[in-house]
Amino acid sequence: MTSMDRRALLTRAALGATGLIAASAMGSLAPEAAFAASAQVPDPGAPDPNFAEGLITGRNQDLLQVQGSDGRLHKIQLTGVTSVWKLRPTTIDQARIGDGLYARGVKLPDGVLAAESVWINIVNLDVMINSIGRTGLNLDHHGQKVVGHVQEGITAAVYNGTPAISDLSMLKVGRHVQVIGAWRPGTNEIDLATIYAAN
Amino acid sequence: MDVMYGLVGEASWFCCGNAWGPCASTGTGACATCHSGNMQHAWTNTSDACYAITRPDQCGVTGVSRRTCGFRHATTNLCNGARIVTSIADCGPRTRSFCGERACCGGTCASNRVMDLTPAAFTRIASLSAGLIPAGIDVG
Repeated sequence: MTSMDRRALLTRAALGATGLIAASAMGSLAPEAAFAASAQVPDPGAPDPNFAEGLITGRNQDLLQVQGSDGRLHKIQLTGVTSVWKLRPTTIDQARIGDGLYARGVKLPDGVLAAESVWINIVNLDVMINSIGRTGLNLDHHGQKVVGHVQEGITAAVYNGTPAISDLSMLKVGRHVQVIGAWRPGTNEIDLATIYAAN
Repeated sequence: MDVMYGLVGEASWFCCGNAWGPCASTGTGACATCHSGNMQHAWTNTSDACYAITRPDQCGVTGVSRRTCGFRHATTNLCNGARIVTSIADCGPRTRSFCGERACCGGTCASNRVMDLTPAAFTRIASLSAGLIPAGIDVG
């Protein structure tokens, strides 16, 4: 499926989900019109209208209410074709109140963002390893302590571009690593997905 | 047709501005304009003080031009050819902490971190969960 096919499908799915097709009588809310709007690339430095971030404050079926970190309010429509990541690829039911998210999709004329992809609680941190325990890592993120939990069957390390492996034994205290993980809302703890370590 | 880039290396993403979770303490960056939802990036050589932190030369990456806040770069994901243009809003990435690191997709690889994009920018060319991608950088 091409990107255009996917976006057109996504928009149709979102319009169907919100009942807007009937309301619009296939006028300005046609999927092609929404896709044409989404294809416009914002100017460098400018906000991207087809992107949103913030904390989930409400959920009505598959419509998320999100409080942006900048104070803006977003409505994000999840659909059957929305890809969702929450520590691993997962399903739309995993989006819960209190979670943080980044979302990319198609901004519909009524202001709802029809989500193509949603990344829930994802963090990408450049950290130093303070200590290594049996079940996780104690990390320093610009002076802030972060606890990283190893998740069996999920957590993997990438050593200098090699394929990801579950063996974490080559990690070293005092070294900088980059971690992709899922934040545990309201805490300074994350579940570790991928740890990138250079030589 | 082979495409030539001014700089080839790894690109990643970072959060800035008002944010949730561990990102909440990051601030608006060296240019005081950085926001995760904007089409922006961090550059390794925005000032002497910045370069002292990033030091790409210590990884063998030489000739990174001095560029200041607002300067535009184009980043191409070498895995899929997707390209975006963003403007400088912060100093980074800290190349020297990851000397020799490689990001690969298929048979395409690139070494050393040279570009950090905001989430809004990165998600236009790759998935956030990818973390690192090989990228080509040009003036935008």
